[in-house]
Amino acid sequence: MATRVVTVERDVLADARASAGEFRAARTAAGTLVVNLCSSPGSGKTALLAATAQHWSGRQRMAVLTGDLATDRDAQRLAPLCDVLQMTTGGACHLEIPLVAKAFARLPRHDLDYLFIENVGNLVCPASHDVGEHLRVVLLSVTEGDDKPGKYPKMFRLAQALVVSKMDLLPYVPFDVEYAVSDARQIQPDLEVLRASAVSGAGIADWCQFLERQRQRLVSGAA
Amino acid sequence: MHESSLVMNLLDQVRRLADLERAVHVASIEVEIGPLSGVEPLLIESAFERIAATRGFAGTRLTLLEVPLVAQCPQCDRTFEIVEFRFRCPSGCSANVRVIQGDGCILKRMTLTTDEQEAQV
Repeated sequence: MATRVVTVERDVLADARASAGEFRAARTAAGTLVVNLCSSPGSGKTALLAATAQHWSGRQRMAVLTGDLATDRDAQRLAPLCDVLQMTTGGACHLEIPLVAKAFARLPRHDLDYLFIENVGNLVCPASHDVGEHLRVVLLSVTEGDDKPGKYPKMFRLAQALVVSKMDLLPYVPFDVEYAVSDARQIQPDLEVLRASAVSGAGIADWCQFLERQRQRLVSGAA
Repeated sequence: MHESSLVMNLLDQVRRLADLERAVHVASIEVEIGPLSGVEPLLIESAFERIAATRGFAGTRLTLLEVPLVAQCPQCDRTFEIVEFRFRCPSGCSANVRVIQGDGCILKRMTLTTDEQEAQV
């Protein structure tokens, strides 16, 4: 018997990242912008997606893969507005690419402009998992506390955009938007910041225009 | 649980590599983690203890190498440790810095036992 030390130097999640990369490349080739929407539970991800679908009103081909531990409540809310599939994780606190890819295959159509992945409500674990997205967006609602970004550095570091949601409630809560944005940009200086209210509709047009610019950039890059 | 998923990914990778090397036993695994790896060392160790034996790795020792979070400024090339998750170059450069250590979970080394004869010196 012999003992040997083998140097590996490989990311533990390398296989998953490779799969996510393949999924992302396939969506790029199809002209589909994949958006991973992350937040704490109750920040307004589903409401934002519903408002997005209503704003576009069929002008953009969008679908949603929504993830929760249990129930299909989010899928039921979105079903009248766009193609949607519920992913139930059973107990897993985050989504991973095998589940996302399997769910995508079951969507009724794949020739999409936008594929939204509504992640499990959790600012911790989803940060570590590439689910094939082009764009990772974090939602932070004004009811959550403006000191949250610094508490979840990995999530904010790896995001490209922050949506401050539930802006209609701002007059009633002690949330300092500029403080929260400044805190988030200490972690990720390149963060695009948007403010929105799915209830009042404020900021939804800007959010949709932001998405359209991102998709245009993707499509131009692939051309 | 998040760390359980990570440990299963780790052991799958170790199994594949050990089979390639025709190892009969994996004595130890060294994994590097840092402040932005998204894992808690105690939870990884606990998950490893729980899972390893059920996956054919009874007796395999896990060593976690904890490294600091280090970034490099693309403007001035300075390399520095990130303090309190503030990602700004200490020299005051405006460009966004690039993390070069401490944000991943890296399988560094494995110590394997193989069927080979020890080399006679």
